[in-house]
Amino acid sequence: MEKILYAKPDLCTGCNRCAYVCSAVKEGKFYPTKSRIQINNFTLNGYSVPSICFQCPKPECLEACPEEALYKNENEVVRVDREKCNGCGNCVTACPYGMIEQDAAALAYKCDYCGGDPACVKECAPGAIVFRAEDKELRKLRGLQMKQRIESGNPDQKRHQVGLNLMSLHKGSPKTGI
Amino acid sequence: MKLYAGKILVVDLTNKKVSTEPLREDWLKGYWGCWGLALRYYWELVSPDIDPLSPQNVIVIMTGPFCGTLVPTTSRFCLVSKSPQTGTIFETNTGGAFGPELKFAGYDGIIIKGQADILSYVKIQDDQVSLESAESLAGKGIFETEKWLKDAMGSPDAKTMGIGPAGENLIKYACIGTESYRQMGRGGAGALFGSKNLKGIVCRGTGSISVADMPAFLEKITQHKEANVLTDANLWASTDGTPILVEAMNEAGILPTRNFTYGVFDNRSGINSDAIKAAKRGDRACSSCPLACGKFTHINGAEMEGPEYETLCLAGSNCEIDDLEQVIRFNRLCDDLGLDTISCGNIVGLAMELAEKGRHDFGLRFGQPKAYLEVVSEIAMLSTQRGQELALGAKKLAEKYQALDLVADAKGMEYPAYEPRGNYGMGLAYATSERGACHLRAFTAFSDAPLDVETQTQKVVEGQNFNAIKWSMCVCDFWGSVTHEIMAELLTVALGVTVTPDELALAGERIWNLTRLFNLGAGFTSKDDVLPEKIMNQPLEKGPHAGNVFKKEDFETSKNRYYQLRGWDEKGVPSREKLKQLGLDQLWHR
Repeated sequence: MEKILYAKPDLCTGCNRCAYVCSAVKEGKFYPTKSRIQINNFTLNGYSVPSICFQCPKPECLEACPEEALYKNENEVVRVDREKCNGCGNCVTACPYGMIEQDAAALAYKCDYCGGDPACVKECAPGAIVFRAEDKELRKLRGLQMKQRIESGNPDQKRHQVGLNLMSLHKGSPKTGI
Repeated sequence: MKLYAGKILVVDLTNKKVSTEPLREDWLKGYWGCWGLALRYYWELVSPDIDPLSPQNVIVIMTGPFCGTLVPTTSRFCLVSKSPQTGTIFETNTGGAFGPELKFAGYDGIIIKGQADILSYVKIQDDQVSLESAESLAGKGIFETEKWLKDAMGSPDAKTMGIGPAGENLIKYACIGTESYRQMGRGGAGALFGSKNLKGIVCRGTGSISVADMPAFLEKITQHKEANVLTDANLWASTDGTPILVEAMNEAGILPTRNFTYGVFDNRSGINSDAIKAAKRGDRACSSCPLACGKFTHINGAEMEGPEYETLCLAGSNCEIDDLEQVIRFNRLCDDLGLDTISCGNIVGLAMELAEKGRHDFGLRFGQPKAYLEVVSEIAMLSTQRGQELALGAKKLAEKYQALDLVADAKGMEYPAYEPRGNYGMGLAYATSERGACHLRAFTAFSDAPLDVETQTQKVVEGQNFNAIKWSMCVCDFWGSVTHEIMAELLTVALGVTVTPDELALAGERIWNLTRLFNLGAGFTSKDDVLPEKIMNQPLEKGPHAGNVFKKEDFETSKNRYYQLRGWDEKGVPSREKLKQLGLDQLWHR
């Protein structure tokens, strides 16, 4: 069975090392806003939620692309053919998780699992980002996360709202206030 | 530039002007970043006789060369100015994620000058920087301020620095808060913001940081992370965090208890690492730190990231409070209202002893949490007579009530959580630190010869020099095994220019000596490098060092040896030869 990327918010410490290394590998610089993985930190509540691309079974980004610049490779990973991308941004609007964005030239970019060996996973000391074959627990976790669909807003706003939703669903969710 | 953003943001509050200037690259080789570089800027901008709370004083905020990279534990950033609490130069640093955000916005640091006419905040969105009104935040706590500032920026990813009512009220142990539970705690940084009518800074940075050879840099980082960071020497930070020190310091007999009366705390099981683990909800990390020493706790509706060891001691054992829930409540109030928990706990402990000894009754008693919690907001808001008196700080409070025999302070800064009567190095470290009683300059608490004057003295000099360069890289204390060699190697790969361990070691000594020159200029002499009476004359009670004092003659021996090892004269003034060796002779014209 193919390996899939999973996020376990309960274990995330909010250190952002995943985003640092992703940008270093993909952009050649420390450039966390251009990372393909993002961390939503809710410091007052002591909780963090990683935002990852789910490589959806029916990717809305792919369906929204008028140029067929998005495609699934042999490992079911959604990839961007930047030669074909016309910069329309439909994919960005379509993704309900805020996980595909446009660069300075308006071309789309997203997580591609680093060709099967994701750099973020190796940087995650607490084990909040894992890359492995699905099991029952992971399927449940992923299902819960994929249910949090945000239909409007920019990618930042969508990710933040997904993060808030997941924090409130978290069983031991801290309630602030003294 | 490699590693650095290359620019400094200058905020002139009086004239409502913001501008940028190129980073002084000619200072990098001598001072590197954070503490060292901020100190060099401050030295250039301000005369040592400045009144800290006057509009003429300047605040320098600075990041380090590794801030915003994957080098573990290096996202800390610092503030340097003259302390309103001690009248000395001081540096205070914190973790969180503001430092990297500032660098990604394009600035290595910020210079803040003047005084705003109304309560204001600085808004930084990459190259768009403005000064805005914060009048609606007057009197608000730090948590609410942070949320308001992020909303004003329109970005939940923005990072903030802010003060609470304690800073606005110019309380001399007011802190600056960031990322909810992290503080520039010591020395009164919050009062400096308050004196400038500056409620906070909000920053969103979307830029990047480059290095000379990214693949080689990543490889070096991974190598050091695996072989030197995530190892037994440092993993206590991950498994336990600083609360592990409660048992360790108790065993060493240097856990300050009952306002520095005992060296051990019999009821520590309520506030030790096991108690923290029982209340723990999760681990929290600063930006780019794989250790995650922060422990988020929750008891009966009271929750926070922490408390850390210093608070567990000063607001716990030192006040004989053995209920973690009450310490969490105390800590959270301090964090929100903007008070340093070390100073605040120390002062409340002193007030408890004043009542105990019949000198003055503030309604505070050892072991009794009700008034202990009430008094925190009374201090921050200056809302009661006792609040106003405790807001003076431990030394001034002791002076007022003829109780200088009971206070534990150095240069007016309250002692932190390591008892010098059982560890002479910590006493010398407090007495000679540039900012008064500080445990982050030299740390001898784990020494196996804690009462050997010669050994301890040498360790203090070595520790201060090493930490001066370590804090100039803003490498966290909890990468305890970091070396000059590792820092030099990482700089070399990232900058593409050879950096040697020796030049970093020399820079550390240079930075330490420059703080000394500033303090000499501010009027401090060897007469100010002293221990409080309590430590010299009142025998410690309980524990392995019961009956011990740090005798005045032993301290004088240690201090004189310290000056000698430093190449300073008997008055604590660096020799001309030493200054020449450090390249500081041109900066000192006496």
